[in-house]
Amino acid sequence: MDHKDKTITEDGWLLLKKAEQDGIETVWDRYGAQLPQCGYCEMGLSCRVCAMGPCRVDPFGEGPQRGVCGADGDIIVARNLCRMIAAGAAAHSDHGRDLVEVLAQVAEGKAPGYAIRDPEKLRNVSKEYGLATEGKEDRSLAGELAKAMEEEYGTRKRCLTLVNRAPAKRRQVWEKTGILPRGIDRETSETMHRTHMGVDNGWQSLLLHGMRNALSDGWGGSMIATEVSDILFGTPQPSANSVNVGVLKEDEVNIIVHGHNPVVSEMILLACGSPELQQLAREKGAKGINLAGLCCTGNELLMRHGIPMAGNHLMTELVIATGAVEMMLVDYQCIMPSLGTVASCYHTQMISTSDKARFPGMVHHEFHPENAQEKAKELVSQAIENFQNRGHVYIPVAPVPSLGGFSVEAIVKALGGTPAPLVEAIKAGKIRGAAGVVGCNNPKIKHDYAHVTLTKRLIENDILVVDTGCAAIANAKAGFKVAESIRYAGPGLKEVCGSLVVPPVLHMGSCVDNVRILVLASALADALGTDISDLPLAGAAPEWYSEKAVSIGTYCVASGIYTVLGPMPPITGSMNVVKLLTEGLEGVVGATFAVEPDPEKAALLIRSHIEKKRKGLGLDTREV
Amino acid sequence: MKQVIVHPERCVGCMQCMAACATAHSRSKNLFLATLERPLPKPRVHVGVGLYAEGFPNRCRHCDPAPCMRACLPGAISREPKTNTVLIDPDRCINCASCAMACPFGVIRYHPDLSAPKDKTVAVKCDNCLERQEQGLIPACVEVCKSGALTFEDPAQAMKRKTDEVSRTMSVQAQAISLSPGFDLLNAMKQRQTAMRAA
Repeated sequence: MDHKDKTITEDGWLLLKKAEQDGIETVWDRYGAQLPQCGYCEMGLSCRVCAMGPCRVDPFGEGPQRGVCGADGDIIVARNLCRMIAAGAAAHSDHGRDLVEVLAQVAEGKAPGYAIRDPEKLRNVSKEYGLATEGKEDRSLAGELAKAMEEEYGTRKRCLTLVNRAPAKRRQVWEKTGILPRGIDRETSETMHRTHMGVDNGWQSLLLHGMRNALSDGWGGSMIATEVSDILFGTPQPSANSVNVGVLKEDEVNIIVHGHNPVVSEMILLACGSPELQQLAREKGAKGINLAGLCCTGNELLMRHGIPMAGNHLMTELVIATGAVEMMLVDYQCIMPSLGTVASCYHTQMISTSDKARFPGMVHHEFHPENAQEKAKELVSQAIENFQNRGHVYIPVAPVPSLGGFSVEAIVKALGGTPAPLVEAIKAGKIRGAAGVVGCNNPKIKHDYAHVTLTKRLIENDILVVDTGCAAIANAKAGFKVAESIRYAGPGLKEVCGSLVVPPVLHMGSCVDNVRILVLASALADALGTDISDLPLAGAAPEWYSEKAVSIGTYCVASGIYTVLGPMPPITGSMNVVKLLTEGLEGVVGATFAVEPDPEKAALLIRSHIEKKRKGLGLDTREV
Repeated sequence: MKQVIVHPERCVGCMQCMAACATAHSRSKNLFLATLERPLPKPRVHVGVGLYAEGFPNRCRHCDPAPCMRACLPGAISREPKTNTVLIDPDRCINCASCAMACPFGVIRYHPDLSAPKDKTVAVKCDNCLERQEQGLIPACVEVCKSGALTFEDPAQAMKRKTDEVSRTMSVQAQAISLSPGFDLLNAMKQRQTAMRAA
């Protein structure tokens, strides 16, 4: 595959060339080596659940049609999909749990360096949990909230607390369908139980529980992760940043944080700002310390502090190939186990930090709330010492400016304290609707092409785009996130964004922050006195790859948001499952999935959907 | 006479034929033990990648006349008439790669093999699993293929089936006959993904 077919990014092309010269194997090489990929697995027709198997079902109908246990294609596909949802929900929710543990230790005074940075949000969320807040100190309230949130993970509830943020009509849908999420770990655990051999063999009931499991992520684990991150590190407000590999600096110590949880990266940020370490950097011949992010832990820092972003998922190997990175610290999720090997060709030191995530070729320095501040200082100083070991450095592009930090609170503030102006703009038809463009990168899709093309087509047709995760980084690199980028927008969206001085594409955070989109959608539904599924909204994951994305897509659909996936999930082995997800769910939760790898066509699907919803609300409509 | 027949439209790219082939040509005939053997047994059927990332199980066609046989100077390649199998004699092979240059299908490989003198690199390709056939077994690749991409049958019979399939599509009222709607859907998506690269 030609480098130009791998990515649309200039830094990507140039670094792919450099990596090739340096003999670095990249994710695209490994993807090529895997082709053709196993069709049974691509179709979801292989089952490794038990030791009577492994089994597979012949999609042509002549070979075996049932696993040893008797499960047919429908059951096997549904079981496999549910297990993907469970893994994704578990990843987000365990990330949330780690934050709750930090909150609890802050309350006990056992987490030096961490603090309650948004006391107002602490109080607001505590009230949602029914806690008395009057006259209580932040720390003692934090302890109570942490305890209440720990309860959410258990089995003692009829319904998760934050589900109450959803519009009443939406909660009724969930209640009627029997998919109100009861406990965060409970639903994941029940998925693993149901998909064990000889338990739930109704493909429809399996998928219903899959939705319940995803809801326990969206309105549970992920939502807790976002809210506690805001409480501990501050609720994001709009701030300028810069993106792509050009954010690395030739004359400074470059430290990169990669992964998802802000618990470690926030402490690294704190250490990078310390005057002694800045002084040490100057003593070692560097002009300073440059902290940059990759993937979602980078998004967490970008949202709250304007920390620059070096790249998204498919750039993580190439960033190291600049030879300019003194140290990369990783926590967990989406960290390719190849990174240690890539780094071994350069001076880059690779550090793993989480007790639950180890990687070949990395040195393990475990961070815990009680030692994180000290550990961070120790490692930043080690990175500074490594500056002198640099070889040839290649930073081939200049960074692109961007604006981040659009939490729901920030968006409402930009609108003047109420979502009403946004609702009015939608009613007037200046803004046709809104779409969330979210998710990962996947070497099956030309890197960033689907994110950027889809986003461009949506904004030029007056659809406001909110984005998160790797999609948000792609759009920032494409230059969609400065005030001037309204030039890419259609006339109505241009007018509205121009008057508010915001870009037409709003960076809402990391992948757990997709819940911010749920909260925003609920606010819009409440403002119109309707359900989320009646709104002119859509979601898209044009380059998704991970199990977390399956959970996100499912909680979006279960919350009433039509969602278009780029790559096909492993479900084509059961046309019954395909039909249910793309058609049947409309009658269950008022929204469906669609699959369309071509972003030009995906844009048409989303535009038609939005115009259809406008019609339903009695608003003006356009031909698509 | 039964032969291995390839039906590329049914290949799902799982590569189980490759693992089974290597195992069939191992000392132990057991997948797990075979991975520990030296020389490491290697497959003689090779699943290649099509334009749209679809699989294609490529193996020796046992051509007649066989270009490899004509190109082989030491006369190491011969035909076993009973099964119409083109065979390479590892003792006579001089590892010159002439057969590979002549082979129109690219299905010959060079490596040490259980059948060859120790440490000698020789030309290796499909032998129609003659050892298995003598034991009353069908070729290993066919045995493991569950999607019907590899069958062991009389070519005339396979051709007759295909003739009938084609004839049905020629009827005036004919709809395109889908072997598997789900597999068609998967392939349609993969084709779009590939087409987008050129965009």
